[in-house]
Amino acid sequence: MTVSAPIEKLQAEAITIEERSPFQVVLRRFVRHRLAMISMAVMIIIFIITILAPYITTYKVDEINVNNYFVPFGTVDPDTGRVHYLGTDNIGRDYFSRLIYAGRISLTVALLSVFISEIVGVVVGAVSGFYGKWVDAVLMRFVEFMLTVPTLPLLLIISSMLLRNEDLIPIPESVLNFVGKIMLLNPRDTRNAVLIVVVLAGFGWLSAAQLMRGTVLSLREQTFVEASRSLGGTNIWIIMKHMIPNAMAPIIVDASLALAGYVVAEAALAFLGFGIQDPVPTWGNMLSATQTYMFDKPWLPLLPGIPIFICSLAFNYIGDGLRDALDPRLKL
Amino acid sequence: MTAYLIRRVLQSILVVFISAVATYVLLSFAPGGPMAGLRQIQQSGRFKITEEDIARIRASFELDLNLWVRFSRWLIGAPNGPVTIGGQEYFADMVVGCRKPIEAEVLNSNGIPEIIVVGCKENVYMKDLVGRRTSRGILFGDFGLSWRILRDRPVSDLIESRLSKTLQLIGLETILSLVIGIPLGIYSAVRQYSKFDYIFTTLAFMGSAMPSFFFGLLLILMFSIIPKGAGLPYIPAGLSESVRDYTIPLIGDVVAGSLKDRTLHMILPVTVLTLINIAGWSRFIRASMLDVLRQDYVRTARAKGLREITVIMKHALRNALIPFVTIVVFTIPGLFSGAIITESIFAWPGMGRLYILALGDYDYPVAMAIFFILAVLTVIATLLRDIIYTLVDPRIRLT
Repeated sequence: MTVSAPIEKLQAEAITIEERSPFQVVLRRFVRHRLAMISMAVMIIIFIITILAPYITTYKVDEINVNNYFVPFGTVDPDTGRVHYLGTDNIGRDYFSRLIYAGRISLTVALLSVFISEIVGVVVGAVSGFYGKWVDAVLMRFVEFMLTVPTLPLLLIISSMLLRNEDLIPIPESVLNFVGKIMLLNPRDTRNAVLIVVVLAGFGWLSAAQLMRGTVLSLREQTFVEASRSLGGTNIWIIMKHMIPNAMAPIIVDASLALAGYVVAEAALAFLGFGIQDPVPTWGNMLSATQTYMFDKPWLPLLPGIPIFICSLAFNYIGDGLRDALDPRLKL
Repeated sequence: MTAYLIRRVLQSILVVFISAVATYVLLSFAPGGPMAGLRQIQQSGRFKITEEDIARIRASFELDLNLWVRFSRWLIGAPNGPVTIGGQEYFADMVVGCRKPIEAEVLNSNGIPEIIVVGCKENVYMKDLVGRRTSRGILFGDFGLSWRILRDRPVSDLIESRLSKTLQLIGLETILSLVIGIPLGIYSAVRQYSKFDYIFTTLAFMGSAMPSFFFGLLLILMFSIIPKGAGLPYIPAGLSESVRDYTIPLIGDVVAGSLKDRTLHMILPVTVLTLINIAGWSRFIRASMLDVLRQDYVRTARAKGLREITVIMKHALRNALIPFVTIVVFTIPGLFSGAIITESIFAWPGMGRLYILALGDYDYPVAMAIFFILAVLTVIATLLRDIIYTLVDPRIRLT
């Protein structure tokens, strides 16, 4: 408090608070979380780089510079004058270009997986929690069943099976074309990536569904639901208008934490050899393919590992910040 | 309580059964396997392989039997012939498979030729199963024979030789994580907002975001490759013991396969597993301690004039550990499966690596055996968790 401030103004400040919308309150709290803000900035930069991939990179993803294996950083190709900023890999592909395209693919896989699993989770959880009785019993028994089975081993079995039998799950041509456009891949290679999304989201929706169900169960007893029903609101109306918007806070937090999980899970699958396969680059399979050159060229496996860690950390911090901002009491 | 237990046990059996059926069916549809290689040899024309040879090989892998017959023989070792009741044979002429299928090449939806089975020239009947080599069934502890990794040797041999390696790794890791993780979590919670707490939470946060494969690579680079190149003392990485004798500066000569050698090889994988585990566990302990420290009974204990150490260790910690028990129980399946990813980074010859090898090498009996045991252990852990929960916390009632 400064002494020189006029007395009337101080009194006015003490009793009036600037009016803020709930969104502004949340935003203000989020901005105060410094690490979350830094993470947000980092992720925005990474997203921009991957979106601009075709303009930044000097080589195509699978373009092989014959006889130029393992060239050092910054080598200029004498024929074309293009620069290998980060050298080339074991079969002469430009490492810098592949890293950036890999980011585009890895992040798209993670985003799609989160999108699908949260939507499925929200719908299943809302229906289960809202209708209760046998619907709830059937759905939640199924979720519990899936959660009792050891996840990673089953994930490995399913993805190893799907990768060897790619036509087992029919994926519409239009979906492949659409995703292929985002990832800049041909439909054939896209199928591989979409299958991994299916596998990841196929397990990911379970926890989202449990979370949603819990929230809906407590919301169901609130007076505004009763009010809506007495005004003639149908079940669908109540779910869409009251349940889902009110349960968004934990779902958004869950989604951003899940995003970190999917980036790592996709990389882990690729690392074990059951993820997206070469020649499609992802951070995970680049790391696993160059792992054998660890001893004399350690930067090859380390370079793709760094963005995996950064993304995982950033999404975790963003999730943390969102949790603090959206609902400080929330524990997730 | 008894009724609850019976229901839960029945449910658990159902979970194991359904997941076994599902994975068995999935793997049986997976291409590859022993017949794929044979077909290639046949097409290359290097060797003459007759229809009879194929039928014999199919029979030796039981691939001539129907899926459900194969599954039931795998699970309980039956049927292995007609059922004899009172000297009378039943089901002797029941068709249980096909010895020589009629195959046709058709174009699938993508225009790629595919071989499908359209009929059967020669059936396998129940009576043909008499005298066939059969496992006693996985339920009775017979895991069958390996297809590829140790061809025609029992899967149990493979598992036996790998299990002790995984037990060493995960056992040591679990003990270390408990011994280090719990005190860290407690201290951090008791000194909330202190400098220690701040550093600890940041590190733990990073630790839980760190992918284990990247962490493993970093450690190999920092403690193995770089010091070795610089002529400094280093820690060997890869495998569980070295093949040849070697010398490390300051530590001296190490005989391959000696205790010293094996200990040195354990350091890095145990470190990766322990640090990542500590990050998760101690964060959990911290959160649960903070929760408990705010409770009325802790305030009462303090008001009684108890010493702070008694309040924390006796009144707070005991209650804070209740939810933690549920997490620790899940190391039981971990003891068996190992850490699939960490074992892969360090080429540690344990169960996790065996599982990856089996899936990649089309050795489905091995993969199925490991998955089955894992499913059983996970289900037991889930059950144990719920039971322990009620034992340590009488406020929770089972219904």
